[in-house]
Amino acid sequence: MSEKLTKVNFTNLSKVLYPDGNITKAQVIEYYIRIAPKMLGLLNKRPLSLTRFPDGVDKEGFYEKDVPMGTPSWVQTFKRYSETAQREINYIVCNDLDTLLWLANLAALEIHMTLSEIDSFENPDLALIDIDPEPPLAYDEVVEVALLLEEELEMLGLRSYVKTSGKKGLHVVIPIVEGYTFRQTREFVHEIGKRLANKSSIVVAELSRSRDPGTIFIDYTQNSHGRTMICPYSLRATPKATLSMPLEWGDIKKGLNPEEFNLVNARGIRSDPWKDLLHDKQKLR
Amino acid sequence: MAKEGKAKVPRRPIWTGSITIGLVNVPVKLHTMISDKAISFHFLHKDDGQPLKYERVCTKDNKVVPWENVVKGYEVSKGRFVVFEKDELNAARPESNQTIRLQKFVDYLSIDPIYLDRAYVLTPDESEDAYSLLFATLKKTGKAGVGRITLREKEYPVLVHPYKNALVLTTMRYAHEIADPSELEELSSLKEPNEIEVSLAKKIVADLSGEFEATEYRDTYQEKLKALIEKKMKGETIVYEQPAKEEAKELMIALQETLKQLKKK
Repeated sequence: MSEKLTKVNFTNLSKVLYPDGNITKAQVIEYYIRIAPKMLGLLNKRPLSLTRFPDGVDKEGFYEKDVPMGTPSWVQTFKRYSETAQREINYIVCNDLDTLLWLANLAALEIHMTLSEIDSFENPDLALIDIDPEPPLAYDEVVEVALLLEEELEMLGLRSYVKTSGKKGLHVVIPIVEGYTFRQTREFVHEIGKRLANKSSIVVAELSRSRDPGTIFIDYTQNSHGRTMICPYSLRATPKATLSMPLEWGDIKKGLNPEEFNLVNARGIRSDPWKDLLHDKQKLR
Repeated sequence: MAKEGKAKVPRRPIWTGSITIGLVNVPVKLHTMISDKAISFHFLHKDDGQPLKYERVCTKDNKVVPWENVVKGYEVSKGRFVVFEKDELNAARPESNQTIRLQKFVDYLSIDPIYLDRAYVLTPDESEDAYSLLFATLKKTGKAGVGRITLREKEYPVLVHPYKNALVLTTMRYAHEIADPSELEELSSLKEPNEIEVSLAKKIVADLSGEFEATEYRDTYQEKLKALIEKKMKGETIVYEQPAKEEAKELMIALQETLKQLKKK
């Protein structure tokens, strides 16, 4: 290795991070290396929060918003007062491959990103509609609500982008033009939730009912200052090493199994349905 | 935490040889017994938290010198050295390199502790009977054997004496290694205290008199450091990034492909 391809020194590569599939840190890093061309553009200029599992997903992980000690000087950071944490947080920003690989090497399996960029941190450029089911529910019912949602957005003349959450839900994102506040995007998504609740008996629009068994909550609360969404293509800390997979709306149909999108199958990822996300900024309503 | 900090006699001896008294020979192994419990710190690079390494750099051409090209030199005058090879140094080692010859026995308690340097445990080297005899004799008489040993680059006067159930060897300092405080001027001009003061001070000493209990003392500075380290470990551990090894090869192939793709964009 005479020429240096990355500033990152990979460590503990044979450490098993997903014991069910015997998936090592080397495989996790390789996944992030290969997905980087699709992922980096979406991460660009966004403060991140991480969920790290240095001892594997079956052991306790930890959530990290601040840059850890020993962060190399070449990693970009962004300092901002956080209303939720009530203190100043020095966020990590991932603008390049080296930073992404450094995160992977830290066993930061889950990479969460804010819905605004550092240049206009107070104004979101993404509105997130989080379809969050409460068991017991079949995934087909999540699909059904997602399709209702797409129809609703289409009627409003909005183009939206969908991905699996990597867990039990679906995320629908609308890229928006500059100038909206989080309060406005939150109210917009809340309003959408109310409309869906009128159309489907399993949808709930209010936070107070979000934990009702067998319902699907249209979670608007994520549209807030400093809150984050699991990044497209990020791995999740699930036994099957699932990932948050961007999909075409055409893929959202009955029989969809979100566990199919995982690290082991990731080699097959070719298309990039979210490629134009950030060039498709729209006005709400 | 207290338990892990307790010194232990390591199995591996640092020296093997024998104690001889007249014509009697007792083969022994020497083990370390004293361990310094100070917390040690590493130097790190302030910017990225990575450990610093030391290299032997030639002062003439600033190049790193590999071990096989290193010799020992003694500085005879400023900037002038005489060079020694390892074999030359070994050949000069005295008899005490292999043998601790006990030539004299003294009352252990009569020795001024200022001469005591470092204690080591002696264990029998297939010589249990002779070892046991020497141990019992010294214990009953309260005596210590005086001899010499060569460890590393130095010959030391030593005491061999019983401690608990073992023979212990304590290296000693040479008289010339201990500075003589009577040379200090500020001490030669001290005034004699008056008798009332002395009797008062003696009373205080008598009130505070007791036995020395080694276990009563703890290093409170080390304890504070340990507490501090534990606190830091909760959120501020610095991860040492080891250099990539063979297993990183496949990652490098993937990296090359990805870098090519990113360049195209």
